[in-house]
Amino acid sequence: MIYRNLIGTVAFAVGLTMAVVDAWAFDQAKYPDWAGAWRRVPVPGITGAPGYDQTKRLGPPQQAPLTPEAEAVLKASMADQAKGGQGNYPTYTCISPGMPRVMTPYGAMEFVITPDTTHIFVEHVHDSRRIFTDGRDWPKDMHLTLQGYSIGKWIDTDGDGRFDTLEVETRGLRGPRAFDASGMPMFSDPDSRVLERISLDKSNPNVMLNEITTIDKALTRPWTVTKKYSRDPKEKPDWAEDNCAEGNGHVEIRGKAYFLSGDGNLMPTSKGEPPPDLRFFKQK
Amino acid sequence: MHHASTIATIALAAALCTPSAGVQAFDDAQYPDLRGQWTRAAVPGTVDEPRFDPSKPPGRGQQAPLTPEYQAIFEANLREREAGVPGTWPGPSCLPPGMPAQMTAYRPLEFIVLPNITYIRIDYIRDTRRRIYTDGRDWPKQVEDGFDGYSIGKWIDEDKDGKYDVLEVETRHLKGPRNFDLGGTPLHEDNETVIKERIFLDKADKNLLHDEMTVYDHALTRPWTVMKSYRRAADTKPQWDEYMCAWESKTVRIGDETYLLDKDGFLAPAKKDQAPPSLKYFPTQR
Repeated sequence: MIYRNLIGTVAFAVGLTMAVVDAWAFDQAKYPDWAGAWRRVPVPGITGAPGYDQTKRLGPPQQAPLTPEAEAVLKASMADQAKGGQGNYPTYTCISPGMPRVMTPYGAMEFVITPDTTHIFVEHVHDSRRIFTDGRDWPKDMHLTLQGYSIGKWIDTDGDGRFDTLEVETRGLRGPRAFDASGMPMFSDPDSRVLERISLDKSNPNVMLNEITTIDKALTRPWTVTKKYSRDPKEKPDWAEDNCAEGNGHVEIRGKAYFLSGDGNLMPTSKGEPPPDLRFFKQK
Repeated sequence: MHHASTIATIALAAALCTPSAGVQAFDDAQYPDLRGQWTRAAVPGTVDEPRFDPSKPPGRGQQAPLTPEYQAIFEANLREREAGVPGTWPGPSCLPPGMPAQMTAYRPLEFIVLPNITYIRIDYIRDTRRRIYTDGRDWPKQVEDGFDGYSIGKWIDEDKDGKYDVLEVETRHLKGPRNFDLGGTPLHEDNETVIKERIFLDKADKNLLHDEMTVYDHALTRPWTVMKSYRRAADTKPQWDEYMCAWESKTVRIGDETYLLDKDGFLAPAKKDQAPPSLKYFPTQR
């Protein structure tokens, strides 16, 4: 009799507790702690604008597996930039650099994990993303964007009952996009895609690794680089806004880049650059 | 003896089922379901030009309680708009509209509710992510002003049913220039705006969200309260199109002047007899 009562008591207590557990729809404990502000890890000896492979300098040192056509675009881009132009890098007009370049974060990055979506916020130009983890299929009428459409899956690689890796595939990419500030091109087409494996460094939970593989017709083969981000130790980070258009002195008119001087007037960006065509103005 | 055994047994069972210390769990059932894509709800009997007070016509119809000084600025903006120039509305310059204008939902909104923070994503001009801190923090002693401002919120269970239903928000630390909407109703250049919001689902329609917003600003003669409403998209997996202002804007700002770009990208005057930009820095023009 006592034994049966004990069983009944335990079952009753468990039942009460289970009712509370059912209400815990989002168990954050199942996901890795990616809270905080993340910034790219600077590489000693590599200065200036970061290359796509952050361990190497911009341009040819990247040793990107480019097709001859893409090599020619890169060469022309860097030549234009050497003369003061923008080359093949349209971000100066505050167009998002798109994927995968946004994962070379120029600003602070934040990962916001929910059961259906992992949001990546990047404070730069227009770089934020959504990674859908709700098991959805690729939409039949995918709208092409610079960030693409990302579907992800959480993986528990070490079998400890907690997810540790986010695998992501991004499709639906449009152009113009470049890998980095050199203007190293991507030739967006329906088969272009970006694959990622994002996880914390097992030896240091304040370092995040993003192994990114790009498949694009500008490349002779898939190109894989691993990016590293470090976590800001501040528990309540300062999320200062970065508004690209604010104080942006770049102006584009009919595909030509100009600059605004300190007194607000148009300036050429390269020697001998002609002024914009003013055909619609009454000339004195 | 029997009674003590029962108590101990219950305690043991509860301990087995309770998560260990340090493990986070988020009882999202305590919060209203704000997931999905929210667009500006049309107000029956009105035109759907986005405006600060949706219940009134745009422009002068808004009857904004402006001071005489800012009424004059507003009138100047209206004249410029009639002439085809944006006035003080920063959108064509690709500056973000900021608070409160961005809550007019020129583009869809997304709410992300978590225990210590609620985010509001709005992809319009800037890919905004408002952060509304609900972790009980105080106002920071030092913070950089922004177009989104700094927002602190508190969840309220108004009907005492054990579930939160209202998010009260206060936003400070704003920068400018900002307008209430693209009609050009300006906010004060001192940027001492304070905005209070009550965000809640409609009790009769869970796919209708309201934002009762009150703006305190020195451009106004009194606080200005409006009710904004948003409708949840039926598609539970909507696509989120990006908005690149540089592609959408057909204007160029050079110095203090705004010019147009015609369909072929040539620079064109935005108003009658507008002088062309100076080309003094181009050697061939000297």
